[in-house]
Amino acid sequence: MLLPAFLKSRQARDMDLFLHSLYLAEEPVVLAGYTSLIDLPQTIVMLRQLALNADDAGKPLFDRDSGVGTPLREPGEQEVLDALAAGDALICSESGDRWLRLVPVGRTLSRALESPTTENVLRGAISAFNEDLDTNVGLVKKHMSSDMLRIRSYTLGLSQRRKTVLLYAEGKIREPLLRSIVQKLETLPDRDISDLQALSAFFGFSKWSPITRFNTSELPQEAAFALEHGKAVLLLDRFPFALVLPSLLSDMFVSQNDRNFPVIIMFSFRILRILGVLVNVLLPGLYVALVSVNPEVLRIEIALSIAGSREGVPYPSLVETLLLLLVLELTLESAIRLPKTIGPTITMVGGIILGQAVVQAKLVSNVLIIILAASTIANFTVIGFQNATALRLYKYLLLVLSAMFGVLGLFIGIVVICAYFSYGNTFGIPYLSRWKAGRRYG
Amino acid sequence: MDKSRQTIVMFWIVHVGLIFFLYPADIIGSLSVGHWSAVLLGFIIHVSLVALYTKGLSYCAPLNVIDLFQRVGRLFAFAMLLPLAVYFVLIIIITVRAYAEIVTVIFLGNTPLWTIMLLFLAVSVFICQLGVESIFRTGILIALLFFPFLILVLILSFQNADWHYLLPLMDRDAATFAYALRRPFLKSLFAFIGGFLFLGFIPSRVSYQSRKIVYASLGLLPFFLASVYIPLLTFGENTASKFPFPFIMAVDTVDVSWLMFDRVTMFFMISLLCFVILFLSLVMWMTLLLLKRGMPALKAPTAGLLLAAAIYIVCLLVPNWNAVERLMWWNTVPRLYAAFVIPLAVFALGLRHRRRETVRP
Repeated sequence: MLLPAFLKSRQARDMDLFLHSLYLAEEPVVLAGYTSLIDLPQTIVMLRQLALNADDAGKPLFDRDSGVGTPLREPGEQEVLDALAAGDALICSESGDRWLRLVPVGRTLSRALESPTTENVLRGAISAFNEDLDTNVGLVKKHMSSDMLRIRSYTLGLSQRRKTVLLYAEGKIREPLLRSIVQKLETLPDRDISDLQALSAFFGFSKWSPITRFNTSELPQEAAFALEHGKAVLLLDRFPFALVLPSLLSDMFVSQNDRNFPVIIMFSFRILRILGVLVNVLLPGLYVALVSVNPEVLRIEIALSIAGSREGVPYPSLVETLLLLLVLELTLESAIRLPKTIGPTITMVGGIILGQAVVQAKLVSNVLIIILAASTIANFTVIGFQNATALRLYKYLLLVLSAMFGVLGLFIGIVVICAYFSYGNTFGIPYLSRWKAGRRYG
Repeated sequence: MDKSRQTIVMFWIVHVGLIFFLYPADIIGSLSVGHWSAVLLGFIIHVSLVALYTKGLSYCAPLNVIDLFQRVGRLFAFAMLLPLAVYFVLIIIITVRAYAEIVTVIFLGNTPLWTIMLLFLAVSVFICQLGVESIFRTGILIALLFFPFLILVLILSFQNADWHYLLPLMDRDAATFAYALRRPFLKSLFAFIGGFLFLGFIPSRVSYQSRKIVYASLGLLPFFLASVYIPLLTFGENTASKFPFPFIMAVDTVDVSWLMFDRVTMFFMISLLCFVILFLSLVMWMTLLLLKRGMPALKAPTAGLLLAAAIYIVCLLVPNWNAVERLMWWNTVPRLYAAFVIPLAVFALGLRHRRRETVRP
């Protein structure tokens, strides 16, 4: 089938495919593209100007150096479709034997630069990544105007071609890390990279590990900071986050934005975050251990007051804690999905109705409410939502161990978690390493 | 890459974990006056052995103990390392059983012994499967979390000290080292010896400077002294010698009015238990290394699980504390072997290795 005819038949299936006949440089041609991706009137205006220029210079329209577009030599159907799907426009002569591929005036399909939605910045650059890959690369370049910045582009996936950009700072990044990432990217996956799970499977990371191997950030300044410190940054098209490799434990506590404060305040922030993690992970387990297994550890006054507050609670402290934790987790999860207008309602329902009523109904002790509230608040002192969610999981391991072995179980749970952290690594770089540009400590 | 810091931290963790439970009772039991002499004697033995051992290892730098012995001959390596493997297995059995008993005595009265032993073994098998580098990194993290707390409690436990109990400093018994061959003193040596053998097993990619290790081992002296003298200063020799765990009793007397916890000791002891678990996983890792050399057919996870299961069964068969004490006494011979023969052999072989290297251009 001749290609113009093929495109005509294709029009029946893709309603946004246009075939627009027009004269360029006194030659009848057909302009093809997707109306959903291309701004047609603007493109035609641009084309006329380009064709005029080519004509003035005495170059034929379909010539390589006419300046209108890149000629395609006898393109196949797939090549034509790929070009169209990528958002480019095609010009073909009436007879269908000569083709030009050109970059049209596109529609704006990305949002404008906005402030981040999952990470708040108090002092520092506020612009965040958005869905457009080129914008994101540009943002990083703006934040790191250095000639060391290297950018490599890959297209991953089978049916969905996903553009992926790898950024790194030449001379800063550790060679073995760069080599293993590039090696992986160049093997080209045999499946679509539609999400981070697929990407981490492609990189060969463990499927079940709660430790995130990509530290994600919405902030170009964080990405630039990571680059300057010898890490690699991956940007995916249509994914408004930078993926920083490798991910380290310190990413939970250290943010580039801290450095906009005086040093002492920076360190107090970090200590606060570490305390937050400890409080979040330990408190529920400690409560269960102290109430149900080792009450003698507490001072007698506190032990009595906790026992008093638990009076009338009909089940063991583990069940009590799990019940309330379940409600809390449900609240957290639903708060993500709630429309912004209904959010305050949930706060009220959660805070007053559940909190107050559940104590009065003697379903849980009020000490537990204090503890779980503190623990949940502490959870979000950590940087990065992905880290906060992982921490939520560890809590349960400690809870179960504490219910079985008391304080001993709690501490051994910490050892297990520490051991698990020390086992984690990204491309051979341990999760626990202390990162300095170009060097690595244990 | 120099990993001296990790190695030192691990070295400390292993020893601190071993010191505070059984060691004070043994020292207090071995003589009645001038305990510092016994502590120092053991300590000097310890430091000189560590120095010899690390020196010998540094002579044959990339080789570990197993490779070094295998260079001489398979049979020689087998004969030298078999008692060591036996010693390691015995250590694991005794440690798991003894510490489980201590846990039930001190704070988990209602929990059956077998669950605690299962917990210890399960966790240490898990950690040992992650590999030695993970064990080391875990050590760093655990030390960061627990050490400040340990030091605090250690300082607090001088609260009830009566310094008059320091006197008399010396008697004929202490001055002549007459206690050195007594049973309690020989038993007390486990705190000095069990720990440092791992230095010879770590792979060459985890390198360390032997000099730093020797200096670091000097830093352990305050812990050894404190573990013996805190109960002595709190209760006096006569009372302290009656307790099975004098140090724990002494820390139990501490009363901190500004803390919400009544028994600070418990956190102290549990932190130590965590150190012991790391020690267990380290010993288990060494044992597995030896086993895998002996029986290459064994694969990593199965070997670990089999070893743990066997140890668990033996632990279940130990009926009571007396049996544990007897096991500890039986273990003295392999212990002395591991303590003296292995470092000396390593030193001698290391020396020979270096001579050959220097002769060969």
